Amino acid sequence: MRIGIDVGGTHTDAVLMDGMEILCAHKALTSNDVRQGIIDALDQVMTEGRVDLNAIKAVMIGTTHFTNAIIERRQLSPTAIIRACLPTGSGLPPMCDWPSDIASVLGYHGYMIGGGHLFDGRQISSIDETALDQAITDIIYNGVKSIAVSAAFSPANNLHELKIAAQIRRRIPDASISMSHEIGRLGILERENAALLNASLSELAAKVVSSMEAALTERGLQCPFFVSQNDGTLMSAKFIARYPALTFSSGPTNSLRGAAVLSGMKDALVVDIGGTTLDVGVLSNGFPRESNSHIAVGGVRTNFRMPDILPIGLGGGSLVTDEGARVGPQSVGHKLVSEAIVFGGSTLTATDIAVANGSVKVGNTSLVQTLDPALVERSTKRIHDIIDEAIDKMRPSETPVPVILVGGGAILVSRELDTASSVIVPDHAGVANAVGAAIAQVGGEVEQIVSFSKQDRAHALEDLTQQAQAKAIAAGADPKSLRLLDIEETSVSYMDDEAVRIRIKVVGELRHTK
Amino acid sequence: MKTIGAEHIKDLCNGAAFLATGGGGDPYISQLLAERILHQYGPAQLISPDDLPDEAFVVSIGMVGAPTVTLEQLPTVDEAISALNRYEAVTDKHIDAVIPFEIGGGNSTIPPFVAAMKGIPCVDGDGMGRALPEAQMMTFPIYGVKPTPAIIVDSFGNSELLECADALSFEKEIRAKAVAMGGMITSAEHGMTGALVKRSAVPHTLSFATKLGALLRQHDGIIDAIEPDLFALFNASDYGVIKRLFTGKVVDTTRKIISGYDVGTATLQSFNDASRKMEILIRNEYLVASINGRTVASVPDLICIVEQETARPLNAERMRYGQRVAVFGIGCTHHYRTARALSVTEPRAFGFDLDYIPLEEIDFP
Repeated sequence: MRIGIDVGGTHTDAVLMDGMEILCAHKALTSNDVRQGIIDALDQVMTEGRVDLNAIKAVMIGTTHFTNAIIERRQLSPTAIIRACLPTGSGLPPMCDWPSDIASVLGYHGYMIGGGHLFDGRQISSIDETALDQAITDIIYNGVKSIAVSAAFSPANNLHELKIAAQIRRRIPDASISMSHEIGRLGILERENAALLNASLSELAAKVVSSMEAALTERGLQCPFFVSQNDGTLMSAKFIARYPALTFSSGPTNSLRGAAVLSGMKDALVVDIGGTTLDVGVLSNGFPRESNSHIAVGGVRTNFRMPDILPIGLGGGSLVTDEGARVGPQSVGHKLVSEAIVFGGSTLTATDIAVANGSVKVGNTSLVQTLDPALVERSTKRIHDIIDEAIDKMRPSETPVPVILVGGGAILVSRELDTASSVIVPDHAGVANAVGAAIAQVGGEVEQIVSFSKQDRAHALEDLTQQAQAKAIAAGADPKSLRLLDIEETSVSYMDDEAVRIRIKVVGELRHTK
Repeated sequence: MKTIGAEHIKDLCNGAAFLATGGGGDPYISQLLAERILHQYGPAQLISPDDLPDEAFVVSIGMVGAPTVTLEQLPTVDEAISALNRYEAVTDKHIDAVIPFEIGGGNSTIPPFVAAMKGIPCVDGDGMGRALPEAQMMTFPIYGVKPTPAIIVDSFGNSELLECADALSFEKEIRAKAVAMGGMITSAEHGMTGALVKRSAVPHTLSFATKLGALLRQHDGIIDAIEPDLFALFNASDYGVIKRLFTGKVVDTTRKIISGYDVGTATLQSFNDASRKMEILIRNEYLVASINGRTVASVPDLICIVEQETARPLNAERMRYGQRVAVFGIGCTHHYRTARALSVTEPRAFGFDLDYIPLEEIDFP
């Protein structure tokens, strides 16, 4: 059995699962204290589920802790960056596009040295050892322990990043080092930004991991625990201390993955409707479709892998105006329970319309009986039109797709959606996040530019797949359960016809846990 | 506009992305670099071709290669300035001003910042008035400017002198050099007199793109609200004619790389009438647009696409199903309307079997 816990901004959800079956589920307000929050969640499901401690094989935790630390600029460590790129790149030094409020929290400890590679694998230059040693001396002098390392084309050739990290480790044995090739993708500015954010979270990550460990120990659990990443796979306690930033956006990912399990669908659109907004995401082969654009985290442009999510300003608390012609984007938010008409308030909301058109019974239904039927009809149509358009923007083609509805605002949908081939509202939809955490698998990913004129396609794919498999096994996957999840091939414009950027991803079940 | 400074670059890049007609790559890196350098050196003087002395010596400058490479191989501050200095040393000529060869995309930002560094003016104009993929398609060679001597520089400080018989051989040579020298190079080329600039350059495009970029950010990016001002801006310019060709959503895209070109088609569908469809043929840029089989715009006229709710210019690489877009057809400037110019820029020059019909002559429902 497994326990999945999702620590969100407002709510902490927990589920106890046996295989794919949900034994019990619980929802509570998020506590400020990581340790206590997890203890409370464990107590709830273990008491309710009446399980033996030894039956729990793993605990999976999803958390927004690290995203919030970046957004709020708190508990971040002073962080240095060494980039191997010279003589190229001097025009755009590290952190040149950062908002000053977060750059000043990390301090301005940027260094550029000779090194890095070209697109075709040749060196830009060998590593400038003298400059590297000077940079490290400077970092030691400034007392900085969190250090990011980047090098040109490191996703294709990580040799220089590895060498620089080894040299840092020799001279600063207790440094926390984040190498950009382990975190981001092609695009050195965005990738080293991602590595910097990751490095800046290292001290906090160590604290959070020990709080989680303490919570489990206090409740007598000896099983391993894992933290969910934003691609829907897991990392072990050892990994999260090194890669806390890979938890960014894991909430929406867990919601999508949970919706997949709860509905039994692997390819579908998921519409998660809350009080103020709805999020549309795409499930492809049971995993979220990833965004191809750059994503700003706390104002810093990064290229983390992130789920492709379209947020729209429509939810249960959305204001209904213009005689029903307009619904949202303004919302009464969490004041729904006091301001909506059915709850005795005076603001007409989308929830009031859902009650008036008979799709749901909440609050005092008699309070919306006097609404103009034409207004109710107009706003009901508007709500469905907005949802239809959001689905249409995200679906891969014109073919209607199965749609899974989750979240409290799912009550707004009472009619057929033109864009949907079917609409599914699964049981336990309210704790989809925790379910997504509990069922997560372990993955491995590689990205590289390959020239098919030098290596034929079949061999290149085989070679990269093996590298991805090795990464997944190192992260804790059972080798027998590995499967190829995705191969992405992108031609490189204006270059020789056969240069292709390939990204391969494999996933598998966790070892020793059922 | 008398000068161009760091505060103009964001608008310039936005306008340049519109005029890039779907090509030009992601302008983020060129924008950052130009802003930093102009911030440090102060604004560059912008000079109208009309005010340029006939005997002034002007050199065109920009980057050539694969945009994907610059994602990793970031620019240095000195590539552009060393290309100019090297050009002066090799040719023994003094450069009085620089000019962009391509206003569409990131190459619009290089001449302004290198002008500021060198303390010379930047000519307000360019060699395309849009984006096009190859050197022989520039107005400079079409109107008699020799592309070489050209100096190409890579980010390692290597430089080479190119001497080519004509624009076609120059294009072939410089493309091969770009791959050999790490994927991206800076080129100082098309040296010409002020008199030749007046004859060959598309004038006022730097100030025009800056105004255009600012305009596209008005009215919260709602394109319907921006349209009256957008039409007024183009109608009063050398482009002259602008039409809204289509409003609808992307329903299909196909793309692949052929001979270094990003080749494909996109199909759009009208919101009001599902049977009304627009097809767009792409070779890096949007080149031909037809509605239900009838051509409504073709290269060298401009086909520009923006997202309906943000007015953000839509790059062909970013196009995908479900996007809501507005498509505009814009007349090319008179430079491309001669038989000589059309022979290298009409649809047949890109392998499409159809005649160029000027936008304003196409009856449009």
